[in-house]
This record gives sequence, structure tokens and C-alpha cells, in this order.
Amino acid sequence: MKLRRLTTFFVLYVVALSFIPLIHQTFIAQSRWLGYGLGAYAFQSPSYFVLFNDPYDGSSKPNIHINPSLVPNERISLIEFSDWTSYVNGYNLFNDFNVSIGTSPKALDVTYTGHGLVIHKFVEVPTRDYVSVKIVANKEIAVHIEMWKWVFTSVNGVNVTTAPKPTVLPISQNLDLTFLDQSSGVTGSGSVKMSRVPSQIEVWPFENGFNRITVDYVNSEMEFAVSGSVGSNQQPFPTWNYTDLPYVLPIVAIAAVCLYLLLVEKHGKKNKARSRRSRS
Amino acid sequence: MERRIRLVLAALAVRLAIAPFFMHSGDLGTIYESSRIVLSGGNVYNFVYQQTLLMQHASGLPVFFEGYAYHPLLIYLFVPFYWLFTLVAGPSLVIIGGHAPSLPVLIYPWALLAIFMLKIPIVIADVAVVYVLARLDFRKAEIYAFCPYVIFISVVWGMFDAIVAIFLLLSYLTFSKQSYFLAGLTYGVSLVKLYTAVLAPLYVYRLLGRWKELGEFLLGFSFTLIPVAYYFIVSPSAFWNVVVVFQGLRVMGGVNLYNFIWNVPDVIFDVLLSTVASAATIIGVAYVILKYGRRLPLLEAVLAVMLMSFLFGKIMNEQFLVAIFPLILLCKKCDYRLWAAPFIFIFLRSAFYYFAIPILWASPYFYDLYFQADIVWRQIQTAGYLMVPVYATGIAFSLLILWNLLQLLKPIRSWEDISLSRTFSRVVRTRRK
Repeated sequence: MKLRRLTTFFVLYVVALSFIPLIHQTFIAQSRWLGYGLGAYAFQSPSYFVLFNDPYDGSSKPNIHINPSLVPNERISLIEFSDWTSYVNGYNLFNDFNVSIGTSPKALDVTYTGHGLVIHKFVEVPTRDYVSVKIVANKEIAVHIEMWKWVFTSVNGVNVTTAPKPTVLPISQNLDLTFLDQSSGVTGSGSVKMSRVPSQIEVWPFENGFNRITVDYVNSEMEFAVSGSVGSNQQPFPTWNYTDLPYVLPIVAIAAVCLYLLLVEKHGKKNKARSRRSRS
Repeated sequence: MERRIRLVLAALAVRLAIAPFFMHSGDLGTIYESSRIVLSGGNVYNFVYQQTLLMQHASGLPVFFEGYAYHPLLIYLFVPFYWLFTLVAGPSLVIIGGHAPSLPVLIYPWALLAIFMLKIPIVIADVAVVYVLARLDFRKAEIYAFCPYVIFISVVWGMFDAIVAIFLLLSYLTFSKQSYFLAGLTYGVSLVKLYTAVLAPLYVYRLLGRWKELGEFLLGFSFTLIPVAYYFIVSPSAFWNVVVVFQGLRVMGGVNLYNFIWNVPDVIFDVLLSTVASAATIIGVAYVILKYGRRLPLLEAVLAVMLMSFLFGKIMNEQFLVAIFPLILLCKKCDYRLWAAPFIFIFLRSAFYYFAIPILWASPYFYDLYFQADIVWRQIQTAGYLMVPVYATGIAFSLLILWNLLQLLKPIRSWEDISLSRTFSRVVRTRRK
């Protein structure tokens, strides 16, 4: 009898725990910076998913994704800041600085130190309308920032037909973008508003669009306010996605324990019959 | 030639033929790196602690460098073989890097020799298990000798749970033969991987009231604690953090019901939730020890405690089952085919080609193939397709463990069992008289 109680407890324990990812995703993971893995961070707001990669990877620093309104579990990458290819005073942000990360509930504070510089990169989602990437240094710096996407179909009205080679765009504090997401086939638009006037903006063609925008500026502070949306008639068709797993795991757990209980029941009956036969 | 020796030689030949060509670069790389540090007079715990502090500073999270976090005795089993290697190949680095997420750089042909030499203690342990088992039950020794799971863990992966297995087996046998000093000594060495720590209360509980025997057991056990005491005195904070804090704050997961946690990307939450698993383990193990610790025969009591700790324990890595596999083989109530689940799990969690790095790194063509295969593997992984079978296998293994545990704890019911147990009690009573 007590052993049956152990089985009952264990089965309930398995099923109850299988709901943890769903509970976490629904009630805990929203609008907070969560650290995971070797030191990566993620922020899920109602409209944006922001990923800041771990200290061993220079890409996605951050990578800003849009959640389509009708398919909130889909994540369409809007723009990716890369430390691999960004420079401050000629020093590479990924290879030439020591990096440490701290968080407040709303902002991620990434500190780059080295070469007499202390640079903070604050990543924040202040409202549901945009994501802010702010770079603040302890003195004036010459910065070269690269932003990636496969692919931007136009930047400030310039497309790959009008600019088939790397092209310097007229100076502006706004970047108006349209994009085609190559992995999902979804189109959309977005904008990057800069708080200071850059010294140069350049776009780099790749296949049927631009895959890179480079922004150069000299200042001690700069904020990039990134916003975007997918086209209203371009909602992606709901397909299997990693973020659907929390819904699937309880089903797997319930199916597995039911199968176990059925097999044990069958095995028990067989054993009883065998022992009755052997007694008679 | 005696058939036992023939079996041992066959088991040895299979293992030696495979050993140089495969490895888990993270785990074997850790043993290589630690052997180098110890042979050069360094303190391996200080090294790991420094790496952890760097990671924690960079990430702002309670993350740990997954390096040498074992009992200090372990590395002294490997160092003599690494020293022999340096006599042939010199002291230069031949396996560079390899800690996740980076891949190792291998210097040929010496890397293959280093891999081979570092696997020799594991192969010896494996073959010793076969030798000891063959004396008790030849058929079971054959199963252990050629079990794909055991061979994979020992010589393809390069994990040393076979060392735990031989010392756990010896501690059970010596305890059964009432050689308590040797039982304590061999049990102490089995702690080179800390998951056998749950057996200490069982052994002590069974000897409570027999103070001389308990004293002998603890004396033998205390000899194995000398290196622990040394490192506690020499580098207390590093040793404490690397061994105790790391194990205490490890996030749950593995071939168990807890691997859903890999789908919860929140370290702080994961660490907090892992304490639930730790609490469940402590309660479960205490229950089995207090209720069944003396009632069951030793073999069944040891297995019941280990299975209970695997059932609720927060970490159940693929290789852990090797440690109790010889005991499972000896126990008539357990089903040894349990190994299938962790064996399947290995290929769901790690890409199969990852273990073949020593072969693939030997030619640019194969090197390129590795990365082509890796792109496909990562796409499948990031899409989440593997997580469902991973979780299902984890639960299936937990339920199989539960079933085996219940077989051990089940009261004797059948007519044959009752009559056998009555006969046995009569024999015992007669002998006592």
C-alpha cells in the first residue's frame, strides 16, 4: 500500500513539474531581464524579444526581435548589433575590452573597460513601442557601430537596385527600414532613431537587399531607439517553434506516466496469475 | 586458458582498440588539463575557482566553470599515466582548449597517445569489474564486458564512472565479508564522484551499535579523506567553492524528469527550483535508509538508496548508471536493461560526431564535414525538435528507475518467496541456537 503511495506521489510529482516551463513563461519571464546559459540575457516584452548574447560570443549584442501580434511565439529578428564588427577608437568591442554585465529589472548594463575607457551599453525596453540601446562613455569616443539583418530591402528609401555597391547615405538621425526576413519570408518595417547626429551612415548590399548598416559617430553618448513591426497582411503562419515547448512538455509527461501505469497494471496482473497458477 | 582470463582479455582488447580515437573533449580535456596542473605542482582547485570568478564577473550570474570539481584522489589516479605520456611526448600542450562552447585544438600524433594514456585507468577499472564479476557470475560479467553503454561511457566518452563502479563493488563485497576496514577504504575511493555520498549514512546505519566494526569502517574511510583535508587546509575557499558550492548550486537536469529546466532560460529561477529536487532527494534517501536500510539484504539496500537518489536527484548524467551497473547485474530483482535509456539519451543530447573529434580533426576534409554536420544538428536543436524526445527519455528512465526501486522495496508476496523466507528464517534460528 505504501509503495503504491510512492508511485502515486511520483506520478503527480512528474506531471506537476512538467508545467513549470509554462508557468515560468506565462507569469515570471515577462518584461524582466533573465540570465541563462554561460551568461546570455533575454527580455520578453509584449511586442519585442531582446537577446543579449553571452560574453563568449560577439554577435547579438543585442539582437532585437519582433513578436507578430497574431503569432506571439514567433520571433522575427529586426536588427542585430554586433560587437564582432563594432569599434571604439579603433579597438574592437568584442576582442579588445573586458566586459561585465549587470542588470536592473528593466535595463541591462554592459560595461566595457580597457584602453583608458569605461563604456556602458544600456539595453532597455522602456515602453512597449521601442527598444533603447544607449552607449555612454567616460569621454568622447569615435565609434563605428554595425547593425545586421538578412535582409533590409530599403534604408531611408534607398534599395539595392539604386545602390548595388556599398553606399554612403545622406546624414540623418533617423533610419527608416523595410525588411524581408529570409528565414520566415515575412516582410515588415522599422526605424532606428539616433539621439545624436552621426558622422557617416553606410549600407552594404547582399543578394536582394542590404545585410548591414554601419553608423559612425564621435560623441560620449548615443542612443539608438529601435522599433518595428511586421506587415499587417504578412503575419507568419503558426508553425512549430521552440517557444511552443512549454505547452508540449505536460502532454509528454502525462502520456509517459499513463503508459507506465498501464504497463505496470498489466505486468502486475500477469504476475498475480502466474503466482496463483504456481500455488494451485 | 581459464575462461575468466579469456573474458578479461577480450574486454581489454575491445576497449584498447577504441580508446585513442574518441573522446568527449570537455570531460577528457578536464582530466588532461588537471593532470598537467598537478604534475607541474599547481593547485587544480585554485585554477577552476579563478575561471569561475572570471565567468561570474563577466556574466553577473551564478555560473560556474565546469572544470575539475571532484574528490582530490581522482586526479592522482590519472597523473602517473600523464607522467608516462610526458616521458614519450614531452611536456608541450597536445590538447588545447575544449571547454564548452569552444572546440579543442589537437596536436597530432601526440594527442591520440595522450587520449589513450588518460583512458588507461578507466580501462583498468572496467576490466577489474569484469574480473570480479566473473568470479561471482560469469554470464553477468559477459554482459558488463560487452555492454555497448559501458564501453561507450568508458572508452568513447572517456568518463571514469567505471572507477566508481569497481570501488563500489569492492566496498559491497568487503562489507558483506565483514572486512569493514577495506569496506570503508574502498567506499571512500568510490567517492571520486560525489554521487555515492548518499551511501555513507546507509553503511553507518547498518553498523550502528556494532562500534568496533563501525570504527574499522570509519578508519578505512578516513584514509581517503587525507587529500580532502590537505586541500581544505591549503586552499579552503577554492576547494569549498569548486566542490561544495558548485555541486550545491548546479542546475538540475540530465536523464531525469528535471531536464525540462533546459527550456526555462533563467539561471536564478533554475537554481532555486533545483533546491526542491535536493530536498526531495534528502527526504527520499532518508526514508529508504531508515525504513529499509537494515531490513533489506546489503546489495538491495545499496541499490535502493542509489536508485532513490537517482530518482529524485537533481543531476542524473548519462554516465552515472555505470557506477551501479555491476550491482544491478548481481541483483536478481533489478532489470539490467535499464542502460538502454541513458544510452539513447547520449545521442539525443550530444551530436554523435562530437565524440569522433580525434578522428575528424586529423584531416581537413573530415574537419569540414564536422562543421557541415554541425549546422544541421544546431538547426534541429534550436528548432526544439530534440527537446521532446530528450524529455520523454528522461521521464521514461525515471519511471524505469521507479519500477526497479519498487521491486527492491516490495514485500515478499509469492508462495515460493514466503516458503523460501520461512526456510531461511528457520536456518538462521537454528544457527543462532
